Amino acid sequence: MGLSRMAAVAANTFRESVRERVLYNLVFFAILMTLSGLLLSQLSIRQDEKIIKDIGLAAMELFGHLIAIFIGIGLVSKEIERRSLYPLMAKPLSREELFLGKFAGLAFTLLVNVGAMAAGLFATLLLTRGEADPALLKAVFGIYLSLLLVVAVAMLFSTVTSTALAAVGTVCLLLAGRFSDVVKNMKQVAPDVPDTLVDVLYYALPNFRNFDLKDKVAYGDFVPWSTLGWITAYNIAYITAVLALGVLCFRRKQFQ
Amino acid sequence: MKWAAGVVAVIAAAAVPWLQARVDRARGGTQAQDEVLYLWQGAHVKRLFPGFEHLAADIYWLRTVQYFGGERVFGRNTRFDLLFPLIEITTTLDPRMEIAYRYGSVFLAEPVPIGAGRPDLGVEVLERGVRNNPSSWRLAQELGFFHFVYLKDPKRAAEILVEASRIPGAAYWLKSLAAEVLSKGGERDIARRMWREMYETSDGAIKENARTHLLILDAADAAARLSALVVRFHERAGRLPRALGELHAAGLTREPLVDPIGVPFDYDSQTGKVEVSRRSYLRRDDLMGDKQ
Repeated sequence: MGLSRMAAVAANTFRESVRERVLYNLVFFAILMTLSGLLLSQLSIRQDEKIIKDIGLAAMELFGHLIAIFIGIGLVSKEIERRSLYPLMAKPLSREELFLGKFAGLAFTLLVNVGAMAAGLFATLLLTRGEADPALLKAVFGIYLSLLLVVAVAMLFSTVTSTALAAVGTVCLLLAGRFSDVVKNMKQVAPDVPDTLVDVLYYALPNFRNFDLKDKVAYGDFVPWSTLGWITAYNIAYITAVLALGVLCFRRKQFQ
Repeated sequence: MKWAAGVVAVIAAAAVPWLQARVDRARGGTQAQDEVLYLWQGAHVKRLFPGFEHLAADIYWLRTVQYFGGERVFGRNTRFDLLFPLIEITTTLDPRMEIAYRYGSVFLAEPVPIGAGRPDLGVEVLERGVRNNPSSWRLAQELGFFHFVYLKDPKRAAEILVEASRIPGAAYWLKSLAAEVLSKGGERDIARRMWREMYETSDGAIKENARTHLLILDAADAAARLSALVVRFHERAGRLPRALGELHAAGLTREPLVDPIGVPFDYDSQTGKVEVSRRSYLRRDDLMGDKQ
């Protein structure tokens, strides 16, 4: 597997995704939502800073996920549907390199987007409070990890099914992963469910709650570096598994 | 023909406001929509916003503030029916939002039409706040205040204040305040101290509320002083003054005969009783059941 070829695919994917109009719309709305915190904070009582942080981080997460899903799904499936994949297949480029390169490209696009949205949030806080807590970056990092996992899942689904179904599947998995606490405590409401099923579901579903540091950071709680280390390790392991599965599916895919 | 489309657009656009006014007249004008709450329990709302609970809490808090302000200013019955569920939802979504407990309890406890007139619910909200935020001495302090001021339960108030004083970082004066509450001293003096502490350590609406309560106490004290002067006048003149102005004329006092917001005191020349006027918002019979 050639890293230089993967880097070329990644660079191309980045160029391709920054041309997507939806990307700019979503980033615009995210920044607009963050700025709306300025107005909303005026309507609250003594909650201005927290509301700006909550809205800014939530906008980043929500719109980041939308970008990750919409662009992540389109990366592979659009190429297949538009048949623009065939010329690439003819080049000295393996399917693994193509798949992983596309992931790396979108990961970089998301990094730029998250950076822009974080800059919007910091600017809003600086405008209103005159200071912005750098610890917010820990929550931003958590959001970015979550987005990477969503992209990996979206790409996996897009190799095995149509664009629409891949979108539905990714959103469902994202929601299921956000309800991981419900899954873990399932026996409280359904005592007859076998323990094994609960465990399998809990550990198999991507636990998106892990990456959610927004609440802690918004209250100024200290998030230990070890926590960031563990969630990063979890993220890498999960993404590796999903991408490996995606590569397998992509390798076996018949293009007609 | 070149300008026809533009002319039609201008005429049609100009017709729209006129037509809207006709529709309003025909349908009786626009009516303010009543506030509606579709989900009444925080636990249910929480399930709708996985990962975005705090954002939802902010939205519900904004709605609480807007609802409270809107009902006070524009409400037709000012019953604040949705206030408690809105606060419950907000604090379930974000159990650490201290401001929601503190302001919410004040909104609930103050009498109608200033608040919902439900001090019991205010205490419930603060109790929840203390349970969810055991390290917040301020919430515990306010719970103690509420037990003393609204529920007239000095024993429980003192217990809570002692507990609050044990929380790391608690204000030094909590212990002495608790002792004062238990000493069965003048209730009005203790209430004054509590409101003064709250006034000095808070801001915003809570500070304003504390200021109002201090004025209520000042008004009640001034009325009591004037009542005592009426008795002295009676002793001297052998009759009750026909009007409070006679106290000035007799040289018994130079105090103004109005309460701190400028409303003249009510005076009953048959009984000699001086009271804060019913026209003044400083008259609070619910709080002044105590005797100095």
